[in-house]
Amino acid sequence: MQTVNLNPSSHQLLLFICSLLILPHIGTLQTLFIVIGFCLLGWSFLTLYFKQLSPSKWLLLPLSLGLAFLVFKFHGMSLGREASSSFLLVLMGLKLLECRQKRDVTAVIFLCFFVLITPFLFEQTILLTIYSFLIFFLLLTMMVVNSSQEKSLKKTYIYRFSAIILLMSIPLMLIDFILFPRMIGPLWAMPSDSNTAISGISNSINPGNISKLVLSKQKAFSVQFNGQSPAYAQLYWRGPVFWNTDGRQWTLSPPKKLINTANLLPATATYSYQLMMQPTQQHWVYSLDTPRSAPSSLILSQDYQLISPKKISRTQAFKITSSLNPVTEPVLSPEARQRALALPSTTDDRVFKLAKQWQHNNPSSIDVISQGLSYFNQQKFYYTLTPPSLGKDPVSEFLFHTKKGFCGHYATSFAVVLRAAGIPSRLVAGYLGGRYNEVGGFWDVRQSDAHVWVEAWVDNIGWMRVDPTAAIAPERIQFSLDNEQQFGDEVKFLIDSPTGISLWLRQLESLALTIDYYWQNSVLAYGPEVQNQFLSTVGINGWEDMMLTLSILAALILVSVVLYIYRISRLKLDPCQRVYLRFCRRLKRHYFEKHLGETSKHYFERIIEVDPTLSKSLSAVRQSYLNCRYAKADIQPLITAVKAFKR
Amino acid sequence: MSLTLANRFALKRFFRGEPAKTLNLLLNHRRIFILPNKAGLALTVVILLMLIASINYSNSMGFVFTFLLASAAQVSTLFSFRNLSGLSISSMKCDPCFLGQTSAALFTIEETQGRERWAITAKIDQRIVHIPHIKPYSHYQLSVPIVPKERGLSALNTLTLSSSFPFDIFRAWSPLRFNRQILTYPKPKSFNQPLSVGRFLHNGDALSSTQMGTDDFIGFSPYQHGHPLHLINWHALAKEKGLMVSQFSTQQQAETWVDWFNCSATNTESKLSELCQWVLDANTLSINYGLRLPQLDIKPSHGILHQQTCLKALAVFKQSHANR
Repeated sequence: MQTVNLNPSSHQLLLFICSLLILPHIGTLQTLFIVIGFCLLGWSFLTLYFKQLSPSKWLLLPLSLGLAFLVFKFHGMSLGREASSSFLLVLMGLKLLECRQKRDVTAVIFLCFFVLITPFLFEQTILLTIYSFLIFFLLLTMMVVNSSQEKSLKKTYIYRFSAIILLMSIPLMLIDFILFPRMIGPLWAMPSDSNTAISGISNSINPGNISKLVLSKQKAFSVQFNGQSPAYAQLYWRGPVFWNTDGRQWTLSPPKKLINTANLLPATATYSYQLMMQPTQQHWVYSLDTPRSAPSSLILSQDYQLISPKKISRTQAFKITSSLNPVTEPVLSPEARQRALALPSTTDDRVFKLAKQWQHNNPSSIDVISQGLSYFNQQKFYYTLTPPSLGKDPVSEFLFHTKKGFCGHYATSFAVVLRAAGIPSRLVAGYLGGRYNEVGGFWDVRQSDAHVWVEAWVDNIGWMRVDPTAAIAPERIQFSLDNEQQFGDEVKFLIDSPTGISLWLRQLESLALTIDYYWQNSVLAYGPEVQNQFLSTVGINGWEDMMLTLSILAALILVSVVLYIYRISRLKLDPCQRVYLRFCRRLKRHYFEKHLGETSKHYFERIIEVDPTLSKSLSAVRQSYLNCRYAKADIQPLITAVKAFKR
Repeated sequence: MSLTLANRFALKRFFRGEPAKTLNLLLNHRRIFILPNKAGLALTVVILLMLIASINYSNSMGFVFTFLLASAAQVSTLFSFRNLSGLSISSMKCDPCFLGQTSAALFTIEETQGRERWAITAKIDQRIVHIPHIKPYSHYQLSVPIVPKERGLSALNTLTLSSSFPFDIFRAWSPLRFNRQILTYPKPKSFNQPLSVGRFLHNGDALSSTQMGTDDFIGFSPYQHGHPLHLINWHALAKEKGLMVSQFSTQQQAETWVDWFNCSATNTESKLSELCQWVLDANTLSINYGLRLPQLDIKPSHGILHQQTCLKALAVFKQSHANR
């Protein structure tokens, strides 16, 4: 068996780094692989003290094959992030077990660098970044140790080198980060990642699924208004618009691009804002009420959704302008009317009866709607987060039996009854309100703010927002849900202003969220679009411009460095030397070059040998030069002598 | 000392160094070259893979750490360069040796910049010496083994100082050639004929045996530097009488000629080997000897200096002289 000649202290440092690398993966990867990773590290640690435990090649080979097989068994033959992260962790542990030479250690370190970026595929928080910088520093230190074969980790120079290099490379990294051309990923599709659950509004709505979202504190997006923000009750963040229902759930149909915008009402009050989406793996982008203008990368659909052609798979920021007044369309196309009235054939007769009842008293659409709202308000309906589960026909079961529900229940059943009453209606999913962060001056919208409401067509007005939840629980429209205090059936709202410690904690949280907001806004959202935008503000448009600018910049820097060095070397010569050397160059043109290190005496003698007539004038030059240079005499005689020199 | 453009980009300059002119060279940007080594190339692959992963997932922090690693690698070149830059190397001496033996080239490395230096490797002809650490402003004595390949005076081969510090991904190296010659004596070798002693005698006294000189002991004299070891009277030393050497009368000291024309070997190199062996034998016997070569006579004498003169004459002996 080969001997282990890796010195123990560097082995320990390497083990320490590797275990730090596995830690952030706890919770994101399969527990099995975390355990395997730590077991391999533990084994490697034991070989430090019991050399006989270090595995032979014949044990390592089947072990590696077996573990690789295990990874593929769990994740399939894909290159997804879980699969590759688990595989890299296992590889790191295995390579550590056969660390015998400098070369092996280098291989482990390189693997570690790769493993270092894998946790960021799952989350990109500031804390994880700081943590990773620490590991990066340790890895650089390990490289120094490996290069110098230092036996002791107590020497300061190994840390000094890695710290200085790390500090010096940060500015370079920033330049790369800003200027490196960003491509729009992904380069290949990752099948295993698509099934990773990202909470948020999904592409189908049934009465129950919003109430599950409401318990999540996860951020959906954040918004910073340029100027005044609208009142809380007006913060309806529109998301996907649902037209189709089968009685149980509402599903999306492909949105159509809005082409004709000529007939729209001009916006009365507009709000412009920057909205920063968290990755949703969906196509839609949320916007306040009615979006009026959006970045060209987004498509505005006929039902006023903002659609991104690519799935939102990373943090992205959009500059949007919205108005609060609805867009008035003069007529609803027959095709759209048909879609907005379609009901499944299985709709309960009682729904139609209820619709008739609302219609009977008030024939106009507006009156039917207000009749419906007061129906919810006056009948014994309860607003609750834990509604009883519903069976095959959730709408009629909710309307006529349970009468306990959340916004999803109210909106879906309201839309169905309106359709039954012959009023075209559609379902809109999105968020309502948000939490204003006073420190950072932005709104944080969380999953708990998820909301569903109805839009109904009223002739001469157009699509009008109707929120049946407002009728049953008006507090919801005014305040966020207090999702830390949900007990039992009753829904709690954040009505009371916090005082004392809770206020202080709240402010601290605001601060943390602000830091996070700017972190996300400036660092994580820096993608191809932001880069182009940023570069165009400094006058760089596109690749060719970039190349040109960079080459001119590089040339300028190079020229200035050369000039600087040239000047420094010139400065070392005193005027006397300069006159003399210029004179020598003149002589070189007619006779021959002065050798390096040749004295004036020798050089002039060589010339006099060729042309004895110069003897007198040359010795005059030489004498004045020597006087000036070594006897600190005046330079003038030298200049005169040089001038007087004639061939 | 200026270089022409052709000189500047000649491949030889990067591996063999500039033509030797002096005995002292300062390492600066002109003499230090740097390229990634194998690990550096592997790191490039790792960085590319990290970049691809970052692009694929549009992952900002992935980009940050990929670029940070690339930048750190870039910055490390500066430190690799600084690890060598500012060292002043002087070739001190190269002891002559016999062909086939190992000699050593001695250098003094002076640190002139006040920086610590780590993990430098010195190499001449594939023989490697590691210099783990050089202290600021210190003088480091470096001795690199050399094995001359042929007899005679030869130029010292390129000394290559290299270092992969701090990250072992870039190798900075500096090929140095010094104006230093190595003297290599022929390889001593015995043939059939032993050294003939007493063929030519001083003062006409006949001495016919190689054992001569030990019988005609005349007394002791104090030891002086250069006296052969075997003449030291160890008994006298043991009796605390000091270091004494046995003395022989000069009249009876043997004297001989190490003669080219007496050689039993036939070709030139063998003859030189035989002569070399005889010179060594004569020195061991501490007799006066002279060296006779086809165009050179060295008068009989003894002592270290004389031996060196004779050996040098053998070392630089030219084939053409033998043919005359």
